[in-house]
Amino acid sequence: MTDTASPELAMAGGGEPASTPRTRAARRWRIERRLQTPWYLEGGAIGGGILLAVLICAVLIAAAGSEVLASYQALYNGAFGTRNASIETLVQATPLIFTGLAATFAFRAKVWNIGAEGQLYAGAMGAFWASDLLTDAVPRFPLIVTVMLFAAVFGALWAGIAGLLRTQFGVNEIIATVMLNFVIINIVSFLLADWWQDPASFYYQTARMPDVVALPRIFESGRLHLGFIIALVMAVLVWFVLERTSFGYEVRSIGANPRVATYGGIQSRRIILATMLVSGAIAGLAGASELTGIHLRLQLDISDNLGFTGIIIALVARLRPAGVVVAAIVAGALTNGATTMQLTTGVPAALVDVLKGLALVLVLLAAVVVNYRLRRVKADG
Amino acid sequence: MGDYLTTAVALSVMVGAVRIATPLLLAAIGEMVTERSGILNLGIEGTLTFAAFISFVTVDRTDSLVLGVLFGALAGVLVSLVMAVLTVTFKVEQVVAGLALNLLGVGFSFYLLRAVFDDGGTDVPSVQSWNVVEIPGLSAIPWFGDVLFSQHWLTYVAFVAIPLTWLALNRTGFGLELRSVGDNPAAADLRGVNINRIQYLALAFGGLMAGLAGTFLSIFATGLFFPTIAAGRGWIALAIVIFGNWRLGRILVGAVFFGYLEAYQLTIQGQGTDVPQQLLLALPFVLTIVALVINRSRSNAPIHLGVPYLRGVR
Repeated sequence: MTDTASPELAMAGGGEPASTPRTRAARRWRIERRLQTPWYLEGGAIGGGILLAVLICAVLIAAAGSEVLASYQALYNGAFGTRNASIETLVQATPLIFTGLAATFAFRAKVWNIGAEGQLYAGAMGAFWASDLLTDAVPRFPLIVTVMLFAAVFGALWAGIAGLLRTQFGVNEIIATVMLNFVIINIVSFLLADWWQDPASFYYQTARMPDVVALPRIFESGRLHLGFIIALVMAVLVWFVLERTSFGYEVRSIGANPRVATYGGIQSRRIILATMLVSGAIAGLAGASELTGIHLRLQLDISDNLGFTGIIIALVARLRPAGVVVAAIVAGALTNGATTMQLTTGVPAALVDVLKGLALVLVLLAAVVVNYRLRRVKADG
Repeated sequence: MGDYLTTAVALSVMVGAVRIATPLLLAAIGEMVTERSGILNLGIEGTLTFAAFISFVTVDRTDSLVLGVLFGALAGVLVSLVMAVLTVTFKVEQVVAGLALNLLGVGFSFYLLRAVFDDGGTDVPSVQSWNVVEIPGLSAIPWFGDVLFSQHWLTYVAFVAIPLTWLALNRTGFGLELRSVGDNPAAADLRGVNINRIQYLALAFGGLMAGLAGTFLSIFATGLFFPTIAAGRGWIALAIVIFGNWRLGRILVGAVFFGYLEAYQLTIQGQGTDVPQQLLLALPFVLTIVALVINRSRSNAPIHLGVPYLRGVR
């Protein structure tokens, strides 16, 4: 029909092929897939999707009887209005950079790791365990490094279960990671109710961890901690590995076309497993960063859907590490600003969840649309 | 005396199991049909929440339980139609679209709850809810009468839906077309089956069933709504479909079994036993993974599940 991969996008409904013979016009419009989407269109898709989401939410705000501009102003002020607000925005963004990168790495190989949420808890468990074992034996700096390493290993191991299930038994990793999320939550819940419970409390939480394992703060005021810097370093690392190493090339090849990659000599099973391990390790770091940077107690609520939000961030950023950092800061700003917005204007903070969800859906739609173009062609029927 | 108590507890656990199984069963039947057409809908959790909210608000505003069920079901269809536009028409990755709908479903419900009821207070509003319907005669049967015939009418609907869905899938031309779309869309396409239409309808049915399930949570079981009302049931329904290997009989077994685990866990929670309740809560998910591994050689999963169909692209 044409030289392109998918000439007929069933957008007009009905799934009629675009080349259905028609006799009445000699030239007509045809929807066809672009071979390459220029960067400005992709950027426009992201910007346009987000803008539309903001506009729809404006309608929601107005419908709830609040001032649209004042509400958005309050949202912005809460996120960036003062120096401390900006710092707190970065605090909120830190775990999302990790989980966004975890999703990015896996999704580049089309390995659908939906389990960052669970791997984050596994990482936090590892971090707590390491600090529990080693606090008195190891000096501060190597202790922090070890705690981080434990978290990465625990996260990787938890993701590795899903990876092995996929490579050894052909079990769909989407299903496996979703199920494992629920399993680990219950494991943590058991530990917190039993072995690791703070004897001085009836809450499901551990005792407060010693200050030596706490990640150093970056500024005098505010809670921003070393985890943010580690997250930025990870973003650079993920970019480097994906774009500048042969492993990254293999990961991307599997994502682009597993069959071609296998013909090309890439051992897809090994790469899929490795991808899962790396993705899980990064998500595990998110757990350690939250635990030792913020909470210093293992609790069931150390993650408020951070893993799932990371997936959204990765997708809105079109699986680019630099984009993940930007999107995570925006998402952190929304979370941070939402409280101020609710307090000053009465608009429910849940609005930002709607905003995130809409932005994701609309960016995805726009990204599909800009992959196609309308072209006037001679009727070939 | 002790014996009598044990029997009474065992009975109440079974009654609870069937009640808890109802939304799981409804959502799982719907998801199974959707998956049979090749679409993996991960958005059940969001659909449940949104439908639960809509039926709750409807009852609050109209005092009509019938309208509550109707609008709850329609809300489910609405969410699944968004999923259909995204994944069938625009071929967005199904996993991603499903996760987005979860976020939107829960987020919208939470936002609207605050917007509709908010006074800054913490008290959750409550509405009237459906009463249990005792089936005359049958409900008098010892044990079975309590467990099976003294339940909500939606529970009976869920059970009746099993043979009806089986007939529709396996004994009608439409069912054959639907299954062929999930197993081999290219062949179905060649035979002139309208793939998009089938997938839209399958998603709408899945949304309808998830909508009813959400309705059950708010205006049958509790008369309440809160944003975490689905509490993972959407994911459990997904697990049940896999655990049941896409077969209705086993889906029924799975739903009742998972319902039983939760009912049992709720009963022992207050009594203090040696079995950690977390173990019971994690069991469904572990068993689902085990079932996937065991069934892998005779998996009944739709062959083209989760893969967008693009004509001419393999």
